[in-house]
Amino acid sequence: MRTLSLRVNGDDVEVAAPDHWTLLEVLRYRLGLTGSKQGCDKGDCGACTVLVDGKPWLACITLAANAEKREVTTIEGLMPAHLRAGGTGPDPVQAAFDKCGALQCGFCQPGMMLSARALLDRNPCPTRPEIRDALAGNLCRCTGYTQIFEAVELAIAESLGVAPAPRSWEAQRMPPEEAQARARAAAARLRAEREKRKS
Amino acid sequence: MLRLPKFDVARPSTVSEAVALLAEGGPSAMIVAGGTDLLPNLKHELFAPDVLVSLAGIPELAGVREDADGWITIGAMTSLADLAAHPLLARKAPALAQAAGVVAGPQLRSMGTLGGNVMLDTRCQWYNQTYFWRQALGFCLKKDGTLCHVVAGGKKCVAAASNDTAPALMTLSAVLEIEGPEGRRTLPVDEFWVADGIWNKKLEPGEILVGVRLPPGRAGHRGAYGKLRDRGSIDFPLLGVAARLDLEPDGTVADADLVVTALAARPLRIQKARALLAGTRVGTPEHDRAVVEVGEKAHAQCHPLENVPGDADYRREMVPVLVRRTLAAAARGEGPVHPL
Amino acid sequence: MAARDLHGPGAPWGEGAPGDRRNRDFRVIGKPHRKVDGLAKATGAAVYADDIALPGMLHAKTLRSPHAHAKIVSIDASRALALPGVHAVITGKDMPIPYGVIPWTPDEHALALHKVRFIGDEVAAVAAVDEDTANAALKLIRVEYEPLRAHLDPFESLSATEARIHEDTKGPGNVSKHVALSFGDVDREIGAADVRIEDEYFFHGTTHTPIEPHCAVAQYSGEGLLTVWSATQITHYVQRALASVLGVPIAKIRVVQPALGGAFGGKSDPFSLEFCVAKLAMLTGRPVKMLWTREEVFYAHRGRHPMHMRYRTGARKDGRITGVDAKILIDGGAYSSFGLVTAYYAGQLLTGPYDFPSYRFDSTRVFTNKPPCGPKRGHGSVQPRFAFEVQLDQIAEKLGMDPIEIRRKNFQGENTTTVNGQRITSNGFKTCLDEVERASGWKERRGKLPRGRGLGVAGSMYISGTNYPVYPNPLPQAGIQIAIERSGRVTVFTGGNDIGQGSNSVVAYLVAEELGVEVGDVRVVAADTDLVPVDLGAYSSRVTFMVGNATIDACRKLRAQIVEAVAGAWKVDAARVRLVPGRAIDLGDEKRAVPIAEAFRIAEERFDTLGSTGSYNTPTLGGDYRGGTIGASPAYSFTAHVVEVSVDEETGRITCERCWIAHDCGRALNPMLVAGQMEGSAYMGLAEALLENHDVNRFGLHAGPSLLDYRIPTSVDTPELHALIVESVDPEGPYGAKEAGEGPLHPSIPAISNAVFDAVGIRLKHLPFTPGKVLAALREQRAAVRAPSGGVPR
Repeated sequence: MRTLSLRVNGDDVEVAAPDHWTLLEVLRYRLGLTGSKQGCDKGDCGACTVLVDGKPWLACITLAANAEKREVTTIEGLMPAHLRAGGTGPDPVQAAFDKCGALQCGFCQPGMMLSARALLDRNPCPTRPEIRDALAGNLCRCTGYTQIFEAVELAIAESLGVAPAPRSWEAQRMPPEEAQARARAAAARLRAEREKRKS
Repeated sequence: MLRLPKFDVARPSTVSEAVALLAEGGPSAMIVAGGTDLLPNLKHELFAPDVLVSLAGIPELAGVREDADGWITIGAMTSLADLAAHPLLARKAPALAQAAGVVAGPQLRSMGTLGGNVMLDTRCQWYNQTYFWRQALGFCLKKDGTLCHVVAGGKKCVAAASNDTAPALMTLSAVLEIEGPEGRRTLPVDEFWVADGIWNKKLEPGEILVGVRLPPGRAGHRGAYGKLRDRGSIDFPLLGVAARLDLEPDGTVADADLVVTALAARPLRIQKARALLAGTRVGTPEHDRAVVEVGEKAHAQCHPLENVPGDADYRREMVPVLVRRTLAAAARGEGPVHPL
Repeated sequence: MAARDLHGPGAPWGEGAPGDRRNRDFRVIGKPHRKVDGLAKATGAAVYADDIALPGMLHAKTLRSPHAHAKIVSIDASRALALPGVHAVITGKDMPIPYGVIPWTPDEHALALHKVRFIGDEVAAVAAVDEDTANAALKLIRVEYEPLRAHLDPFESLSATEARIHEDTKGPGNVSKHVALSFGDVDREIGAADVRIEDEYFFHGTTHTPIEPHCAVAQYSGEGLLTVWSATQITHYVQRALASVLGVPIAKIRVVQPALGGAFGGKSDPFSLEFCVAKLAMLTGRPVKMLWTREEVFYAHRGRHPMHMRYRTGARKDGRITGVDAKILIDGGAYSSFGLVTAYYAGQLLTGPYDFPSYRFDSTRVFTNKPPCGPKRGHGSVQPRFAFEVQLDQIAEKLGMDPIEIRRKNFQGENTTTVNGQRITSNGFKTCLDEVERASGWKERRGKLPRGRGLGVAGSMYISGTNYPVYPNPLPQAGIQIAIERSGRVTVFTGGNDIGQGSNSVVAYLVAEELGVEVGDVRVVAADTDLVPVDLGAYSSRVTFMVGNATIDACRKLRAQIVEAVAGAWKVDAARVRLVPGRAIDLGDEKRAVPIAEAFRIAEERFDTLGSTGSYNTPTLGGDYRGGTIGASPAYSFTAHVVEVSVDEETGRITCERCWIAHDCGRALNPMLVAGQMEGSAYMGLAEALLENHDVNRFGLHAGPSLLDYRIPTSVDTPELHALIVESVDPEGPYGAKEAGEGPLHPSIPAISNAVFDAVGIRLKHLPFTPGKVLAALREQRAAVRAPSGGVPR
């Protein structure tokens, strides 16, 4: 048994846990932060993804001891951090996942949203392929990923103040010309934004 | 959830401390780097250490630097994600950067390290399973049993080397830096491997892999990595190919190297590649013929087994395809060849 | 109340003419509202089963059989019990009463009683102070087995005479269920056809793989009340099974479904862990939790049945099908589960969206010593649909017809009866075909793409609930209670199981539309047997249809009171009062309106405390023959897919590039959620075709019980998915809605096979479509080209 000194969601906490406990077990069963999920036992599914120093790690195969002296962010930490930073309501990623229907059973999504948050923190306007790649370690069994991509894109668009492209199902329900025009406009705005950031 | 067995964790802050802890723990101590291979294996009860010596708190072990002599030194604890994104490596060791970039999935690459990937345990469908599963099987040659289920009557374990970076390092003539109770030693990565699935590395008890050094490459260095797997992420390789082409300014191959992995207990160099490719000029029919011939030689030389999941005949059939495509990508300065 | 009473001419959902079902004048329905639990899930606040921790809780683990088939000679748990920290060990003898989700086939025990039937079968359970101690105790239990011959091959098992898997199986072999039904004169109709195709198809095993593993927590109170929280999609059936097996009066059992991390049919049986935690809690007086490992979820399985199928279809020159003749061998695994229904569904659900005058099927489900199969999304009908839709393309090829055209040609139409006596009401299949044809650029591109790239189509039909409750009874299949508070808040109590599909949200949308409240002011209390009326659970795509109709039923009663009270207060005719979100308004005086809370207060003053109940039962349905009600649904959904693939002829890899999914869901109560179901279904089907394989190895051991080795697609393996929602507006569905969660899976799989044919000219008839199979078929194709008809390849 050791006393771990962890920094979780901005708080310094001391918690006693045996050495062979994973970070996930300490978060869920010692600190009561049950938002991080467990799906596969051993690093295959991504449901336990947390951010460690801003990078997505799998808490189910992280020794709790190895998280000491690092900044751990779980899904429970996003909204408070957003509020502390002067925002309102949940983190824009969380709000976008909710608005886009990306949360079906919701079980994989805490990990998914943290992977998305890590992506947007290092690259504020990624392309669809970059989003796909960044989320490729988070298995979702409900959505077929489409509404997840759309949610990340909505979060991007909202953070840039850009009108988002119509979601796939919306586009199918509006006149094709209108859908295309909206998609093109959104793509152009994002391209311009990317160029601006590059230069 | 699957639980880890009980052990203590030691967190040294220097390499010498780590070596001392390892010596103190003896055979019941193990090194853990990123833990992405070891922790699942521990949950499967493949090892039962009393002490895990974690390298996570040793800052000197992380980082990539180019030395004055043109050698590149990569600390063993450098994350695979950092390797994949490193501009110096993208230029000077593209096969390694590409291989690191297609290991497992994004989270494992941000946790996993180069040292850990080099030290990856060999893999087999009869071995990488839970204790319950292996018990129901009656265990296997590699762990707790006496029978090989891959090769009937086999006396030697044929679990597969499954580390993507290993073949890339071989094509780059990398040198491993190892520290142990006797001090520091270096070993060319080519000499590191043993064709024994139970333990396929020449790392002595008490030693730690602390870094990898890459010699300066030629001016026209090209490299690529190709990986066969069922999904575009997460999976281990069913087949991996690393290629190096050193090109003269006119595109003539001055030197070449080709290493295939995920077939047997150690990565395999395709012996005829250098001879067949050298002297051919990229973009000519002669070069293209040589590439095809290298693929055929590789096919003849490689005999995948039913060790990792995936049909062995199919994996063998893919050897020449992946070889051709990886060489083509290297010639064009592209890659990785993935998904296939 | 039957749905048709609710939605007769002039249904009060808009201003359209009587009988006008197209009316879209809704405030809530049809809009992409957020889900009622979306932000709870987004912020990590939603509580799933393993998030529950109770004071003094013990942890339980299961000992499983390492043998595929064996007699249990003895079990000695004394050393386990002696281990410090162990509180109880139970075995089959502690719960000897058998159960089964279908009451006619109770062949399972909470823990194996006399024998084990597959590797992973549950044998004993331990409750201990923590998981490590429970695991250590498992290793101390000594079980003596007498191994029996294991039947792994369904053909072998069918004729096996020794080592019966279930001793009481009737007839020869290990037959679990045999169904043979015939409609019309099949032999004559097929014999008289212009073209006939007879071929064999194989559908492999696949499993649900929800990301949340099964978990259950039990608490037993001093008063003898047993509470079980479980990751289940059938709270009511779990409650009944617990009562029966534990001998506890059903009124003393409370089953609660917390937030559920996916199910897809994989959590629709009562499972060993629910009985074990309950029994262990009763024995120890402590709360007990059991969380299965991922490996254990694979052993629990209940996934897609492997099916060996032979189909013979005849058609006229104009493409009209004359008859279909099917023979199916179903590999059931070790237990019955829903298998009786599977054997029926395998035949009964093929009789749409196409009309054929004659049909015969003969399906046999056989036990094998493998993890038990059960209902997976599209239960029983995904496999035959694959075979038939590929065969239909083979007929089109033979006739030189366009594959979409042949499907149009055979369209059965609306308001008809199928050859096996099922009533079809709304049917938007033709529109589905039109939509995928248009969106995919079919006319311009099919057959004209460069070699290696192709388009394929397939269609399907599925049930929206079934009038066959698993235990026959005349009681409501869905019940709803509503309580209205004078603040303007409405609370709905539903037994429906929200498994992620959004059924709680659907209930809230309906209430908001009906009672004039904002969606955010509707609280949904669901799936807690102490608090809600009985509902049969989330299976057979019944929830939207049945729970939705029950919700409307309850709302209408309340609305009549509210409208009457407000009309009385305003001294106007009740027809002038309309409830819109947040307000009651006077249609005759646009200036007159009251906030909805005020309307509720007026009604409460007039009628006392406001509340109502509603319920739903299907009308009498089904063919007049034994089994005729199985597969009889109050409405059927219809789907068409076009899939675009590319085939790498060097690697044999099929890449699904794009998939257009047109689905007739009746009405999209929330198009965003419907699209999510369509996309998720198509994704799951595509994965079954190309990646997944649930199988055992030569030892009967699961080939790879992990999320590493059972490969479900990642974000980079999933094609572009385009959901094309078709709304036929069903006359009996809630606001015209039908199901959307299972139907859209079916066509993905045959559409891929058909697209591969368009791309490279090979017919894939054996799933999964691995690169090795593709290369083998391409080699055969080349050999056939070298040795044209009649010749022998040299």
